[in-house]
Amino acid sequence: MLVTLSSALEQGLLYCFMVLGVYLTFRVLDFPDLTVDGSMTLGASVCAVLIINGASPFLATLAGTASGAAAGIVTGFIHILLKSDSADTNYGPKLISGILTTTALYTVNLRIMGRSNIPLLGETTFFDKLGSMLNVRMVHWPLVATLAVLAVIVKYLLDWFLHTDLGLSMRAIGDNEQMIRSLSVNTSVTRVIGLAVANALVALTGSLVAQQQGYTDIGMSVGVLVAGLAGVILGEAIFGTRSVSWVLFSVIAGSLVYRTLIALGLRVDWIKPTDLKLLTALFVMIALGAPVIRRKLVKS
Amino acid sequence: MTAATGSPSDSCALPRPSGRAAGFECRDIRKTFYRNSAFQIQALCGVDLTVAPGDFVTIIGSNGAGKSTLLNVIAGTFSVDGGELLLDGEDISKLPEHARAAFIGRVFQDPRAGTAPSLTIEENMCLALRRGRRRGLHMGVDSSRRQVIRENLCLVEMGLEKRPKTQVAKLSGGQRQAMSLLMATIAEPRLLLLDEHTAALDPKVAATTMELTERVVSARRLTTLMVTHNMELALAYGNRLIMMHAGRIILNVGPTEKKELTVAGLVQKFRDVAGESFTTDRMLLD
Ligand SMILES: Nc1ncnc2c1ncn2[C@@H]1O[C@H](COP(=O)(O)OP(=O)(O)OP(=O)(O)O)[C@@H](O)[C@H]1O
Ligand SMILES: [Mg+2]
Repeated sequence: MLVTLSSALEQGLLYCFMVLGVYLTFRVLDFPDLTVDGSMTLGASVCAVLIINGASPFLATLAGTASGAAAGIVTGFIHILLKSDSADTNYGPKLISGILTTTALYTVNLRIMGRSNIPLLGETTFFDKLGSMLNVRMVHWPLVATLAVLAVIVKYLLDWFLHTDLGLSMRAIGDNEQMIRSLSVNTSVTRVIGLAVANALVALTGSLVAQQQGYTDIGMSVGVLVAGLAGVILGEAIFGTRSVSWVLFSVIAGSLVYRTLIALGLRVDWIKPTDLKLLTALFVMIALGAPVIRRKLVKS
Repeated sequence: MTAATGSPSDSCALPRPSGRAAGFECRDIRKTFYRNSAFQIQALCGVDLTVAPGDFVTIIGSNGAGKSTLLNVIAGTFSVDGGELLLDGEDISKLPEHARAAFIGRVFQDPRAGTAPSLTIEENMCLALRRGRRRGLHMGVDSSRRQVIRENLCLVEMGLEKRPKTQVAKLSGGQRQAMSLLMATIAEPRLLLLDEHTAALDPKVAATTMELTERVVSARRLTTLMVTHNMELALAYGNRLIMMHAGRIILNVGPTEKKELTVAGLVQKFRDVAGESFTTDRMLLD
């Protein structure tokens, strides 16, 4: 049971960067960014290829993260190209630009890897290297502790960023785009920066997951966006949204809760691991749909 | 809380004008919506207007006259089909909206339009303070900016300066509109555009907002264009008045003439130039 818990926390912490990225796009920028499924594998591919070619795992992780930022920038520019001037609240171009990038990234990822998966067994990963520096074996609780420290660092960096001049304008874009434009913010460029930061976070998860599970696979991120949404929804619902600093913790905690629920679900006999995507999709659908249905019921 | 809370005005000196107020000129501005379709609307058909630095021009006119379109075209929300927009002699008609916003402040009719609801009062003010400046990785609300923000907030005498960390979503419409006005003016725009900015407020709040507008505009000597449906307001405020009808300026009243003008006189003038009466208009109801 304790081992299950440690591995659930491990997964929750590995994926919390991705969940933060999803929070940043869906909630802060009001941009439902579908690049996530592509940029996570991109981060994992770049990281894995660098590692098997002898790069330092720290450098490889950093490069993987940066590749996600590039993917976000591409989505941002496609959006600038597709959107019409006036329609700020039009989600069509936002959705399409993410879909286009993700589709293109499928090819890019296969090209980067040269095949559909890269095993990292026997290679020195980020965790091995850090473990040997700290003189601990990076499994179970030491791994959880390391990831927790990383999550806290990223959380505070993001918190600081969202309170800078740039971060404030970014938050205002999702809140009232016309207003922030009439305060002289170039919303197109600012949105691109936001997408870059968000997808960098997603790719950080990709890089770390590849190194923790010991391989990169072209299909490793299928459905990860919905899992991210589940984390955001759970975090906001359970821990609240009283301020930006607070909600960043909520969202990280949401990721932990989500992975714990998954681990518990797997202990139920009749649930197969392959059922989880359906269950997650159902959960997100109910969470998003419940308020709508309730409103309709009240009206009628 | 001390006894001082009753009168914040002692600590609230109005800022001095920076002398940035611009002269402004529209030359033959044209704007057509749904061009080349059956629904084509000529919203502006050749608007000429010259405004001197520090002028406060009130704009009246019937529904659909093109008043909002004129302001939107000046701010860059809509592009022009033809004509020039000169700010201190420089053509700004090719600049995108956000670039023009570096020197144009705006307040809209809807109190929700001018503020970001999920951000705090001081965060909103801080965004406004950075109008036209670089927005990098500097901390948004630092102690020196907090001081400037506090001084500005106490101008409106609503006690907003005492709760800078309150989310703007929790404020009333009047409070949000007062903030919108502060945010439009805090960085000393060279041109201020007000589009029926008191129309959505109840009469008492509208009156205080108008009084605040007058104070801020005159203290900073801002070049201002204010659209209103209320003839009394149009006559009471500003040093010039223009009337628009069917996409044109049909009446342009200068400073000396405006001082003597009455509502009745204005209605008569409209009949003289437009040959129609105002009866279908909500102007008379106000
Ligand atoms: N975004 C738009 N798209 C299409 N037509 C528009 C648009 N904005 C304004 N119009 C049309 O342009 C004309 C002028 O409208 P405008 O909003 O400028 O009038 P207004 O003088 O501000 O009127 P009101 O007093 O009712 O606010 C109207 O016929 C209007 O229908
Ligand atoms: Mg109007």
